Amino acid sequence: MNLSIEGIGVVGGFGCGTDALVSALLSGQCTPEDVSVKTPEGPLNMAVFSAETSRLEEFVNKRALRRVDHFSKMAILGSYLALQDAGKLEEDRSRMGIIIATGYGAARTTYAFLDSFIADGDTFASPTTFSNSVHNAAVANVSMLLNITGPGLTVSQFEMSVASALLTARCWLEEGTVDSVLFGAVDEYCDILGYCWHRFFGDRATAAHDMDPFNFDLQSAVPGEGASFFLLSRGGGGSQYGSIKDVYLGMTDRYIETQDPGTIFFIGADGHKVCGANYKRFLSEHAPAACYTPLYGSLPAGMAFDIAIAALSIKSGEIFPSMPLKDERPGTDTAGRVLLPRTGPICCVKISNRGELGTVTLGL
Amino acid sequence: MSPGAVAITGMACICAPGSNLPECMGSVFRGERNFGAPMRFASGHAAAYPVFEVADDLALLETRNTPDISRTGRLSLKAAFEAIRGAGLDREFLCSKRVGVCMGTTVGCVMNNEAFYRAYLEKQYPNMADITRFLQSNPAAVVAREFDLTGPRQTIVNACSSSTDAISTGALWIRSGICDIVLAGGADELSHVAYNGFASLMITDSSPCKPFDRDRKGLNLGEGAAMIVLESEGLRRMRGRGARAFVLGFGASCDAYHPTAPHPDGRGLRRALKEAIASSGAEEREIAFVNAHGTGTQDNDRVESAVLNDMLPGVPFLSTKGYTGHTLGAAGAIEAVFTVACLERGRIPASAGFTSPDLRLPASPAGREMKIKGSVAISESLAFGGHNSVLVFGMGGDAT
Repeated sequence: MNLSIEGIGVVGGFGCGTDALVSALLSGQCTPEDVSVKTPEGPLNMAVFSAETSRLEEFVNKRALRRVDHFSKMAILGSYLALQDAGKLEEDRSRMGIIIATGYGAARTTYAFLDSFIADGDTFASPTTFSNSVHNAAVANVSMLLNITGPGLTVSQFEMSVASALLTARCWLEEGTVDSVLFGAVDEYCDILGYCWHRFFGDRATAAHDMDPFNFDLQSAVPGEGASFFLLSRGGGGSQYGSIKDVYLGMTDRYIETQDPGTIFFIGADGHKVCGANYKRFLSEHAPAACYTPLYGSLPAGMAFDIAIAALSIKSGEIFPSMPLKDERPGTDTAGRVLLPRTGPICCVKISNRGELGTVTLGL
Repeated sequence: MSPGAVAITGMACICAPGSNLPECMGSVFRGERNFGAPMRFASGHAAAYPVFEVADDLALLETRNTPDISRTGRLSLKAAFEAIRGAGLDREFLCSKRVGVCMGTTVGCVMNNEAFYRAYLEKQYPNMADITRFLQSNPAAVVAREFDLTGPRQTIVNACSSSTDAISTGALWIRSGICDIVLAGGADELSHVAYNGFASLMITDSSPCKPFDRDRKGLNLGEGAAMIVLESEGLRRMRGRGARAFVLGFGASCDAYHPTAPHPDGRGLRRALKEAIASSGAEEREIAFVNAHGTGTQDNDRVESAVLNDMLPGVPFLSTKGYTGHTLGAAGAIEAVFTVACLERGRIPASAGFTSPDLRLPASPAGREMKIKGSVAISESLAFGGHNSVLVFGMGGDAT
């Protein structure tokens, strides 16, 4: 069954909303900000694609957000933007379900809760912080603010979170459990993540500013954060963004090509050398490909941004220039450095370092 | 039987009552309550909140593909071994089929290793061993890797209803034809962080928990894992395998009311229960009992008692958390497995910890072990975030 994409809401390092994303896609410009990371060598600067949520005040009274953390704010903003884009901010949501995919959940609040009792003892643990630290806090906050009373689901499967969660969204719509699904993905950056990057990737963690995802042998990942949300419904025809035609979850070594000729692949290679070989192998049999991770950074739920970009490509009828905007790499067949007419389906591909594969195919 | 019924051909459980399902059921029906002070961490609280821990340290559990995984990962595997064996399956057969894994957890997906973080705060610059272990311990991935399964993997983190939702999602994958078999369940280890979290909310009892009792003061945490093997009818018949039970129906809803408290009128629970019963095709007279969420907190038990009294008057209900503690992300799966095991026995145990009826509650749980009438049973979960999930199970049958 096809999932019609009725609306999109995005916030990330490129800005807020689909206009900001399209603008970044056309210019190829998205500059990460420097954050300080605690390391054994002293504080070091590291580039991060950060998300800013001040536009949330267009939708929600500031007071209603006073106990809401950054993770949930990104999800709430993505949700409102998706519903607004679909023209369905005012509709009844008793037959709507909500599904959120996340790799690490509310990371900052998770550590804030530890802070609350590590300094002064167990009895000082903060109840508010604890309840906001659970992975499904974003679903709870979105459902409360938007009065969504259908089923809710939060999925955490690292890089496969988005494809895995979409599989269940499709089942809900197929079985008629709900009439629509507010589907989103969200992940956030935190200090500990920065520290871990430095320990895992050494100097490459702090040196990287320009992600070079087609250079599969180079560690060039820059951490990112943000949210990408969609309003999905049954059926395929009519939506300006087209629809999700297929969702696949499995292993790269068992993947059987089922894509139509003319398919272009949006790969989620995000500058992690450990995943590079898997993408390289995949691309040796699947081309042409484009990559947009340098616009939003590296985050487990990043595939949802590629889905948003695919939907925007369907709307515009053109494939946005692949990133980075420089020479093609030997052995790859990229989508080029200019806008190309879109001719066939778009298959978004995410591969983990263990060879897990998720694909989401969109078309008209 | 409802056209959407999905067969259960294997079940497993490890929690405080025992290290496999027969042990657990034996212990529960003997009325044993294996609680104590936490064994794996020290508490700085003045009150010693009892916990229900798994006695086995699981260190000797042999894993094929990832030796360094979390305790939650090991609990998941222990349950998977038992469930797969019980279903008459083996690695080779599983590798030849489309097998998905859907697991629920809470603690198992949170990157909050306390020792690591304390070292980080103290500028000891910890190495990445704890983080690597976390990254290798996603419960669904752990199980899939161990058995070389190539189907979809999904770890659901819906707080206390996580594994109820995992079972319903697994059934959905079977019905939709995505998988031939789904290993569905949940796992969670006891953690100092969660212990402090529930203590901070002041919903933890300093004595053994007393769900639905007049003197209830809150929950006790526990740990464990449970798993169900869900199988397509086509495959089950081809294997000539009987069904231990069927997943007949499911309902879920968001309260959209409060981050931690249930809606006072049980709005979401009523909807989830109604949808679950409707989708199961079961008649009210067929419902033998309800395995309630029954945490022992004031709010949860008040809401559940009222909803069950309104919607299923006279149907016996119980809470098994008095035997297991609240195992968070594993609770739904453990209670689902207990529900099916009770259907098989034709009896339910006493609702542990319940001795004095609360006159403010319109209905009370089973105060003693009892014989049940009916071929259908219900398992309920209510979660932080206002999520409600309800599963309906039907009695199993032979291979035809």
